[in-house]
Amino acid sequence: MTATVRITGFRKSYGAVRVFDGLDLNIGTGVTGLLGPNGSGKTTLLRCLATALASDAGELRILGYDPRDPGQRTEIRRRLGYLPQDPGLYPHFTSFELLDYVATLKELTDRRERHRAVRQALTDVDLADRAKMKVRKLSGGMRHRLALAQALLGDPHVLILDEPTVGLDPEQRMRQRALISRLGESRTVLLSTHQTEDVTALCERVIVVFRGEVGFDGAPSALAELAAGKLWLTAEPPTGGQLYWRTGDNRYRVLGARPDGGTPATPSIEDGYLMLVGSRAWVSA
Amino acid sequence: MTWHIPSDMLADYQDGRLDSVRTMSVEAHVSRCEPCRSAFAPDEQWLVGSWDGVLDVIDQPRRGMLERFLCQLGIPEDRVRLLVATPALRRSWLLAMGAVLLFAVLSARLGEGDSPRRFLLFLAIAPVLPVLAVAAAYGPHVDPVHEIQVTTPMAGPTLLALRSTAVLVTSLLMGVVAAAFLPAPGWLAVAWLLPALALCLASLALSTAMAPQVAAPLLGGCWVAALVVAVGLSDNEFVVFGPAAQAGYVLAGSLASTILIWRHRRLDPGERR
Repeated sequence: MTATVRITGFRKSYGAVRVFDGLDLNIGTGVTGLLGPNGSGKTTLLRCLATALASDAGELRILGYDPRDPGQRTEIRRRLGYLPQDPGLYPHFTSFELLDYVATLKELTDRRERHRAVRQALTDVDLADRAKMKVRKLSGGMRHRLALAQALLGDPHVLILDEPTVGLDPEQRMRQRALISRLGESRTVLLSTHQTEDVTALCERVIVVFRGEVGFDGAPSALAELAAGKLWLTAEPPTGGQLYWRTGDNRYRVLGARPDGGTPATPSIEDGYLMLVGSRAWVSA
Repeated sequence: MTWHIPSDMLADYQDGRLDSVRTMSVEAHVSRCEPCRSAFAPDEQWLVGSWDGVLDVIDQPRRGMLERFLCQLGIPEDRVRLLVATPALRRSWLLAMGAVLLFAVLSARLGEGDSPRRFLLFLAIAPVLPVLAVAAAYGPHVDPVHEIQVTTPMAGPTLLALRSTAVLVTSLLMGVVAAAFLPAPGWLAVAWLLPALALCLASLALSTAMAPQVAAPLLGGCWVAALVVAVGLSDNEFVVFGPAAQAGYVLAGSLASTILIWRHRRLDPGERR
């Protein structure tokens, strides 16, 4: 794998709170998913890679460029598409005007070329028929798709997407996944998500970040395998202190030691993730 | 169809050598005759280009008054698009600045007696407004799109300089217009200009070390404090607008410009300082 994103000894703190203390990662072409509980540092890592935030120490290289150097930082930005976790948009702009504005910021100075790129981005996120609509009149899902569209402008080589499918209905989520999957064929796409279904559907690699460390790095199927032999279905709630929840058919899905009367179940990525993060949380609690 | 257009006539038509009557005749025939129509090789490049041109006109965002005005001044269209998004150039901001200046002018005009002290409020406020406008031109707390734009190649010094210049010119012009209604001696009505420029340059220079939204209020506060001290301690309350002070503002402005040029690459609020 040729790494387009290299992270070596990455450190970042907010005051006394240390988020990362020497993180090492290499990421290449394709779709890589970043999973982790709230506050685990996913957004901080993505913001640093997107050049919105500087690291405290360590080395970041995006397409070989160092974001600490102002000139190289601009080179990264020329090749970057970024969807922030909470993207703000100008409510008084139309969808077209907003993308036109971002395209200008991305140095698309020729008006005709810029407008063509804007039309393509709107079509990609299925908003071509909302081009003239003011942002404030768009639904939450549409605004999120518009925010994704701005990340696609300028044909970026690296796409950093913080929760790209949040707030979308199932059909739009499916379309968004198809688009991201297509983009990942020739680009580096790094996405952070809480949706394990997104990881299953999109990512060839998943990285679980927990308390500033890489808790897991591998294929989604390998993450699911972590729960193999530790997932059970029972008719009654377990009494052994295992993690469990009730399913739609009034049975109990139990993660951990085999409960009385438990029958083995096939684990999903979510089970593997809970096995990993849950056990660490229990150990450190 | 019982007849078809002769090949030499088709060639003449394509080359534009037919007169208008024959041209119309050929076009009328071609619109109904598939074999003759297929004789024309479609020019894909021309077609795509024309269609793009049509879409370009349809999609052209409607320009507001400010945008049209800036275009008429000869500013390139792509730069104008960046300027009109400046938070401090929005109507609400301009109205607020206008209201503050109007209040200062009215207090000077309606103030009792002939004491020049009644001009002090205007002279205190006028240099601070451009500084605050510059601070509100770019940054995470004043611009909803900041998180997106800070990761684009135009982010940082380029965009900040562009927007700061725009709001500085606008706020200075508003100040000059307000000063014209001030019943003060000529020199007093413009005595705020150099302090305003010096404060703006100093706030931008300071923004290379801290957020503009911290630098601007800090300097604005220092200015008001200096004014209060001067009025309280000096026999001449206008000492901060006198010739010596004005020379000091020129010097301070030059120093701030030098720092700004030297450290302009650090004008990137996305970065840790």
